Order: sequence, then structure tokens, then C-alpha cells
Amino acid sequence: MSPASSSRLPEQDGEVIDRSSKVRFTWNGKNHSGFKGDTIASALAANGVKVFSRSMKYHRPRGLLTADFLDPNGFVQVDDDPNVRSGHRLVEPGMNVSAQNAWPSLNRDIKAANGLAKRFLSAGFYYKTFMKPQKLWPYYEKVLATFAPGGKVDLDTPHGYHDKRYAHPDVVVAGGGPAGMQSAISAAETGASVILVEHDHQLGGHLRWGNSDDLAALADLRSKVAGFENIEVLTNSTVTGRYEDNWVAIVQRNHPLAVERLIKARAKSLVVAAGLVERPYVFAGNDKPGVMLSGAARRLINMYGVKPGERAVVFTANADGDALVDDLTRVGIEVAAVVDARSGGNIVEAKGGPKSVTAVVLGDGSTVKADLLLTATGWTAPTSLLNMTGDRPAYDAATARFFPVAPPDNVLVTGGIAGDGSLDVMLEHAAETGRLAAGRAATMAHQFQSMTARAADMQGETPAFPNDDRTALPRDEHPALFRSTTHGIVDYSEDVSSKDLISAAKEGYDSVELIKRYTTATMGPAQGKLETVNTVAVLAEHRGETIAEVGTTVWRPPFAPITLGALGGRIFEPERVSSIHGWHEQHGMVPILAGQWIRPEHYGDAAAEVRNVRNNVGIIDVTPLGKLDLQGPDVPKLLNHLYTNKWSKLAVGSVRYGMMCAEDGVVLDDGVTGHLGDDHYLMTTTSSGAGTIWEWAENWLQTEHPDWQVHVTPVTTAYVSINVAGPSSRELVGRLCDDVDLDPETFKYMQVRQGTVAGVADCIMWRIGFTGELSYEIHVPAGHGLHVWETLMDTGKDLGIGAFGLEAQRIMRLEKGHFIVGQDTDGLTKAPTVQMDMLLKTDKEDFAGKAELVWSMDPGVRASLPVLVGLQTTDPAVVPEEACQIVVPGTNEILGRVTSSRMSPTLSRSICLGQVHPSVAAPGTKVTIQLVDGNRVTAMVMEHHAHFDHEGERLRG
Amino acid sequence: MIVPCPNCGPRNAADLHYGGESHTRPDPNSATEAEWRDYLYLHDNPAGWLRETWYCSTGCRKFFATERHTVTNTFRNNPLPGNKSAGGQP
Amino acid sequence: MADLTFESPITKSYPAGSGDLTLSDISHTAKVLVRADVDSPAAQTLAVGFGSLRTEGETIVSGSRPDEWMILGTAEGVASIAGSLDTNGHVSVIDWTHGRAMFRLTGQAASSVLEKVCSLDFSDNMTPDGAVVSASVAKVSCDLARNDVSGSPSYLVLCDRSFGQYIFDTIVDAGTEFTISANA
Repeated sequence: MSPASSSRLPEQDGEVIDRSSKVRFTWNGKNHSGFKGDTIASALAANGVKVFSRSMKYHRPRGLLTADFLDPNGFVQVDDDPNVRSGHRLVEPGMNVSAQNAWPSLNRDIKAANGLAKRFLSAGFYYKTFMKPQKLWPYYEKVLATFAPGGKVDLDTPHGYHDKRYAHPDVVVAGGGPAGMQSAISAAETGASVILVEHDHQLGGHLRWGNSDDLAALADLRSKVAGFENIEVLTNSTVTGRYEDNWVAIVQRNHPLAVERLIKARAKSLVVAAGLVERPYVFAGNDKPGVMLSGAARRLINMYGVKPGERAVVFTANADGDALVDDLTRVGIEVAAVVDARSGGNIVEAKGGPKSVTAVVLGDGSTVKADLLLTATGWTAPTSLLNMTGDRPAYDAATARFFPVAPPDNVLVTGGIAGDGSLDVMLEHAAETGRLAAGRAATMAHQFQSMTARAADMQGETPAFPNDDRTALPRDEHPALFRSTTHGIVDYSEDVSSKDLISAAKEGYDSVELIKRYTTATMGPAQGKLETVNTVAVLAEHRGETIAEVGTTVWRPPFAPITLGALGGRIFEPERVSSIHGWHEQHGMVPILAGQWIRPEHYGDAAAEVRNVRNNVGIIDVTPLGKLDLQGPDVPKLLNHLYTNKWSKLAVGSVRYGMMCAEDGVVLDDGVTGHLGDDHYLMTTTSSGAGTIWEWAENWLQTEHPDWQVHVTPVTTAYVSINVAGPSSRELVGRLCDDVDLDPETFKYMQVRQGTVAGVADCIMWRIGFTGELSYEIHVPAGHGLHVWETLMDTGKDLGIGAFGLEAQRIMRLEKGHFIVGQDTDGLTKAPTVQMDMLLKTDKEDFAGKAELVWSMDPGVRASLPVLVGLQTTDPAVVPEEACQIVVPGTNEILGRVTSSRMSPTLSRSICLGQVHPSVAAPGTKVTIQLVDGNRVTAMVMEHHAHFDHEGERLRG
Repeated sequence: MIVPCPNCGPRNAADLHYGGESHTRPDPNSATEAEWRDYLYLHDNPAGWLRETWYCSTGCRKFFATERHTVTNTFRNNPLPGNKSAGGQP
Repeated sequence: MADLTFESPITKSYPAGSGDLTLSDISHTAKVLVRADVDSPAAQTLAVGFGSLRTEGETIVSGSRPDEWMILGTAEGVASIAGSLDTNGHVSVIDWTHGRAMFRLTGQAASSVLEKVCSLDFSDNMTPDGAVVSASVAKVSCDLARNDVSGSPSYLVLCDRSFGQYIFDTIVDAGTEFTISANA
């Protein structure tokens, strides 16, 4: 049996609820009901609920303050959704709503004992209490966690679908009140495309809780907006950030498919019509249930048909407070007193118990009984979006609020942020703003079109960028009301009082930036919209300065809090696979992510794969190997410039290994390049370097040598690359290839041929050998890669063929001492370190990195460069982890590190490569390696990098 | 930030690679170590107009040099109207 | 000689759908890449500037870069145009058939789908029928060409072959809210 709707009023003209549609939900376990269109807060208020939460630190009972999106006291848990704004979230059937931050219950919150211990919980108490003894921190953590605010997160909650999209509107209007709506209409009238964003559930802004004139104007504006196809209306959505060149982030919460959708819009013009936010007044008891802002009461009454109380005191300083009195009287709420700040009136204290205000003490000392205290003490301009443009709004003392100064030309301000006036005056300004926004957008659209290679043909000249000839809005004077003669709460959500601010300032945190961070004032969900000006005012008062002199903190995105799902719920994470991928998956591959590639690390037993290659024959899919097609008469010039060695005399059909350095002499990449035919070469790079080296080559060709005739085309994935390795590899390849003579005297090691393999024409075959075995690397046009792979597997059965993966390949290359750029070298490794001096042809006229290489080969300099050496541990069973440090025995002085390390199935012992200081690089030197577990072992520096077949007999067979 | 690629037109900066301050490559055979390292590591880094290189990596794949005002991120060739920030220069 | 079929990078299968919006895998399309100077005889024959395409029967010639063209179509159509080019001077002709995945996205909502995965402006002013652009689609560099069919907006999407499955699936996912049907 739900509580009586004791506070529901008869139908109001502007109400947004649908009384024919009842919605049942629970609050703290008890049944409640409201109407479709109610927010959780309005439905509960209609049922007489006064206490909604407990404050964060002091656990004081709190009621509604603003009854809208920004209400700091209305955070509740809805099912598994924590921190829901009850002033914004609409009720839905079956919802289970509960209070947060209260134990055991909202009413009998034991944690309210905090209030008694208040003097120990002053500002900055996080930094002062629970500090020593430090070893008790795990206990402190548990205690603090229980008392921390915020709802509960259920780790099993399904993530929901999030989404994003891009947009290119001519105009984005942030704010769907009357000014925003009129701007959108006037812009759309010129033909501009408009996105109108409103964070509440309906367009209309303050017109929605206004009088009958306001409601009529609202209906008119709404129907006009609806009449334009080129206005996209997004309600329950927020413009949450404005970045350079009007890159605007919009969070759309009303999308049918996505929980939240992030729209990244490149707006040519941005109109900021975010309105004004009513500011609370600071006085003793200002956070008792029943104390609320004038707008809260008007919204509850006019939009939701809810009576917020029975007997009200109104403290008013402006026309909205006056209009409130009319509303109260109209619905039969007794107006016990109207205290007018404009004639010197003031309120000093709200008295009462934990559940409600019961009386108000006025400035003249008198006390008035009331259960409702409503304040209309002024407005704050939510200028965050303008701050994000780099503008620093300035304080205007006569109007007691901040105004924008000079936003960029593509951001225009209208509505309450820009000034004051009657509705007609505001609409006229908004209309001028909309037209100006559209006009400027048209100039930019024209410009973008003219800059783009194949945009539609331009119609006429680019229109001139319109000047801003708008008539500025007047600014109405307003009393400067921030704090009464007593102290009260300044930041409701962070529970920071004016006393806290002053004591923080006295402790030395007396600049606005410091006081913000020390007390956490303005750091709550409203992000300063309700708190900043009062905070600055209190600080200014303490310092004896003006608000303008104190200044404000900087507002940064997001304008309204945004879920992580909206930001990261739809990440693009490219994956690359070769044509053989399906086969790998079906044959038990254990995948490894190499850059963006998914590759087989092994198929179950890497050591067995190694043995099979060394004894029989294996195939590995090396498609990710970077391949660049080079054509043109000047290719040798490019090769000579990119590589450290010489390339002019490489014959057709021959292959050479080369190493590349960057201009600082650091090893950049390596690979083999083959001379395929006249003016035609194929360069291979490391897999991870494929993209980098392509860009590197293009950089040299375009910026330093545009006169060289070379075309570089990446063909990495145009070919499936299969390395056939092992003693039986020639036999196997011979069975599949008829038109290439495989006789070892004809097709030697480090040569390249083109031919037909397994019936596929235009294959390229290289005799190279990363693994150290006799091997043929076959590049097959990718559309037939799987066919060739499967044919090899089929044909090689009697030869003992087996597929092998990256791990087996890495073991074998390590056995052969082939270093890997980026594994055995790092970002500081200069070329001399790798001990391949025969590649460093410094007598060449010029090449990338030549200058640094020459200097680094000076014996004096070289003596300080590390040396890459082969290492074998004394105990053959110990496999040091890669990156283990090599140290001076008995000390922690570092001499080098292990760069590659594996157990070798071929040699049945561990093998390593490492970089060491030249003083311990001589073959036979004993070095000490510190393992990850702290133990130290000894190892010996080997004569060669290769631990096996150093002469390369197998390769050249 | 919008970068005006001379071929593709206005593109998001994230779609290009930034090449940094433009610099003239010294002759590797005659440069001193100091001159070479100046070329490699030292940048003027002005709060003002800067000549710099961009690579349109997702578009036309061309390198181009342009001038950008580092305070306002305005590009001198192909300036976009409405690009000015408060307190900045052109 | 074995009967060789072209292995597409799209190896998944998709449920048949009906409706206006479709994504089709046409990776088997013959593709040739031509690099040449803008004032060369080859460029004259290709007769299309950077950022545009023209059709010759079933074959499309597109100006994909300032000094680079793609010829797309049947093996015969492509070979005939590529074969007619004067390759004197510094001209490279590369078979791109295997190296590129290729899809066609057609339907009234086609640009809305692309808008979810690519930051380009797909309005008729900026990307009209016949426009050729290159951009990042879901973090992968792709070539896009607008080539409307029977009055329906239609886009060709080309990407490096190894990204093919990823791009195809990404577009299908983006098109779900518009009830896209995928043909692979």
C-alpha cells in the first residue's frame, strides 16, 4: 500500500507528467508510485518524502535543493546504477531506488555521529587524519571505504552498448532554452544544418516553469523547431567539451540503441546558450531539508504538480523570486513572509530538526515559523564551454555575475550568459546570433570546399566572413548576495562550509586554486556551477579583496560528467591476419599479438617444431614481413642512402642484407633487398618496421631528393610469405616448382628468382636464412596463399613437414646469432655495437646516419659504446630472463644486460645475446648475471653471436 | 586541431603525422658535431610563427611544409576564418 | 594445373538480409596501381585528376593520390586500360589485386554508416558522387570512392588486405542500427 500522494497538486498548465500513466517503483524497500514524466525526485516529493540523502562528510540529512540535473543532494542508487541524479532521471516501472551513503538506513544513519565529531573533520581532514602510524593504513582504508560517499558498483553488471559517431553540422547550439531554440530556428531558416542540444528531457529551459505567457511562447518555439528538417534535436544530451577548431563532444543519452553515444562534431559555428544557474545563499542551516532555491520550488509546482511544503518564507532579490510568490499563492501554499533583499532584508538562520526546517530567523532578529525556505539570491553564468575556448570571463560587480570577454569568432554567446532583458529582447538577440552563426558557417563551408581536392563545384565566390553587428544585451543590476552574517554550507556535495574555507585560507591555502584542491570545494558533480562564485566570494571576503581580484579556477571538459562507456565503450582496435589465419586456428595455434598482427606463437610444442625444422622441413607464415616494391632508375641511389652498406653493384637475381640507421646513428631497421629485374627491386624490412620504413623512404624522396625517380609501393600483404626451412626444403620446393632451376650451383644462397609454385604464377622465391637452415622464402600473391600453404603441407608429408611458429623461429635465429632490431638493439644502440663493421661503408658519399656513425667509430668514442655478444651460462639449465642485468660481481654496478635468451633444443643448453661494456666483451670473459629472483649466475662471452653452425654451412648448402 | 593538407583539404590533426620544426640538413661530411646535434635535437620552439613539416599519413601520403602560429594554431597558408582564440594573434 | 580460386580476406559468413542497405565483399576485383608524373603521357591516357574517378564501361579509373591512380574492374577491362598506357619514362604499374580488400556499401543510409567509423564530411558538397578520398576508417587507412548506383548512394572501400576482415566487421557493426545486410 503506497503512501498517500499527500503532496500532489491538481493539474498544472505546464506540467510534464502524464497522470493517466502510473509508474510503480520502490524507495528504500517501500512501494511508491508516480506518473510517467516524473523524475525520481518529483515522484518522491509528491509522496511527501523530504530527506533524500546524507551529506558526504558530516552525514547531515539533506533534501532537494534544485530539484534538477544539478541537485547535489539527490544522488541515489537505482538498481545496479550508482550515483543517479534523482532530479533528472525519470521514473520507470519496477525501479528499485535506494539512498546512498547512509547506514544502516537513511533515517537512522549511525555515520551521522560524524556530525558530533565535526570539529575533528575540518577541511583537509583527509590530509591530516589517518596518517600515522603508517602501517595501519590497510585498516584506515577499510574504515574510510565504509564512510566514503557514492553508491555501490556491481562488478557483474552487463556493460551495455555504447556507441559513437562523427558529425559535421554547420551550427551546434548548446542549450535548448528560449535563446537556444531561437538561435537554432534562425540559423536553420538560412538553410544551415543545426544540432540543438539540451541536457534536460524537454526543450524550453526556464519557460517550462513560467507563467502562461511563457508557456505560450514555449509552444510557439517548439513547433517552429519541429518544423525544420535541418534541426537535429538531442534532448537528455549535453555538449560536454569544446576543443580546438570547434571540435565538439556531445554526449547523447537518449539514443534508442546505446546507453550513451558520443558524438564528435566538427561544428563550423558553436552557439553557447547554456542559460543561467541559480546560486544558493550561504547561511546557518542552509542545508536543512526544506531549504531550496526558488527555481526548485517553481519546477516542482509547475512542471510536476508537487507541493514542496505548506508554509513558506521567501527571500528574494529578483523578479524570479517575485514570480515564485505568485506561484505559491496560486497553489495554496501559505506565504508566511517575503523578505526582500532589495530593501535591505536578510535571512540569518534556518532552524529545525533533522527532518525539516521549522523556523527562519530573519536579519532583523525576528523568527518566522515555516517548513519551506526559498531563496532567489542571484545567478551564476555556466561559462565552462567558453573557458574551454581560452576565454577568461570577467566579473561584473553591478550584476553580481561573470560575463564572457572575447571568445573566438566561431563561438557565439546568447541568452542569459550574454545579458538580460524581456523575452522579446532575448529572442531578438538569439535570432541575430543564429543568423550570424549560420553566416559564418557558410563562409567556412565554402572555404573547406575550396580546399578539398574533389568537393562539389563551387557556387560563386566565398562569402565574406560576417562581422558581429549584434546589439549587445543590457545587463540588469543585481544585489551581490553570497553569504549572510552566519556561516553555512558552500559546496553541498563535497560538504564544505564557509568556515572550512576560511580555516583553509588561514592555514595558507589562500589562493583560489589551492583552496579548491585542499577543501575539494567545486570538485563535485556540479563542477562549480553551484559553488564557485560563493567559494570565491568567501575567499575574497577573508582576503579583503574583490571577487574580480581573487579570480576563479579554470573549467575544463567535461561540462557534465560523462561515463567511461561513452568515452571508451566503442574503441577501434584494428587486427591484422594473413590468408593462412584460418588454417592456423584450425591447427591449434597459440596466438600472439605482434603489433596489430595476430600470429601463431606455436602449435603446442615450440621445441619440437625447432627439432623438426633442423632435421626435416618446416614452414612458417611470415606474411607480416615488411615488403616494399621499388621501381625506377634511381633505386640504387635510394638503397645506398637508406642502408649503411653499398648497393650499386647488386646483380639482377641477387640479394643482399642491409642495415639502416637513423640520423643519430642508432640502428633503425634491417632486412634483405633483392634485385628482381631492370629498375625493379624488392626490399624487406622487419615486420614491426614495415610502416615506419615506408614513411622513412618517402620522407627522404619527397623532402631531400625529389629529383630521384623512385616509386615505393608497400606490398607487405599483397603476398603471403612462406618460409620453407630445413634440410629437405629444396626437395619439397622442387616438387612444387617447375620453372625455376633449384640446383644449388644455379640458385645460390642470397639469390632471388621469380616463378610458378603449386600452379600459382608470379611467385618470388628467395634463398635467405633467418633460421640458419637451408630455406626458401616464397612470396605468393595473397589470393592464392592458402592454396600454396596447403599444397606444401600435403606434398611434404613424407618428408616430415610441420608448421612452425614465431617462437620456434626466434629460437632458431638465436641459435644462429641473428640479432633482432628492437630486441637486441634499443633506442640508443648505435651501429658499431652490433659488431657488423663490414656493413658500415663510411666511404660512401652520404647516407642516413653517416655523420654520427663516423664519429662513433672513432676508437675513443667506441670504447664507451656497448658491444653485442653471444653469452652462455655456466649452468646450461639456467635460462636468464630477457633484460636481466649483467653486473660487476659483488656490486650493483651495471655492465650490460641480456637481450635475448632461450633454451636451445638443438644444443640442449641455454643461449643468449646481450649488450655488455667493452671491458668485458672479449671472448672467454666470465660475466655475472643477476636473475629476476635476485640470484646471480655466471656466464661466458662467446666468440661469435652464433651458438651453432657459425660458418653457415647449412644455409649455403 | 584542423590541419590544412594542400592536397586533401582540411583534416583532423590526428590523421596526420607531425614532422616537427623544419630544418635544413647540414652536409654530413663537413658538419661539426655541434652543428649536427643542433640539427638533430635543438628546436627554436617560438611562441609565434613556426615553419614545420606534416605528413598526411592517412590521406595523400605527401609531406608538406607549412607555417603555424604556435599560440593560436592558425595556419598561414589556408587560414580558416573564425580560428582566432582570445588574446592570441592572427 | 589446379583450378585456382581467389581467396578473399573475408572468411566469415553472414546471415542473409533484405533491405536497402548492403555491404558486399568484392575483393576479387582486379586492381592495378599506376604511379606516374602528372604531366606524363600515361597520366593523359588515364585522364582523371586527383580526388575523382571516371568510369569506362565496367571499369573505374580513380585518381587516388596526386601521382597515383587505381584501375578497378574485371581482369580484362583493367588489363586493357593498363596495357594501353605509355610506360616510357618513370612509370610503375603494379598488380594490386591481391594486396587490397575491397567492399561496396550501398543504400540511403550509406553515409550515416560511414559517419560512425570515419571523421570525413560525407555531405554531397564535400564528397559528391565521383569523389575519391583517403582517410582513416576505424583507425585503418582506407581509400574511399563514391560511385552511386541507380541513384542510390554507394561507396567503394579499399584497405590493406590484412585489415579486410576487421574493416568488414566494423562496417557491419556500425550498420546494425540501419539494418545492414552483409554479402560475403
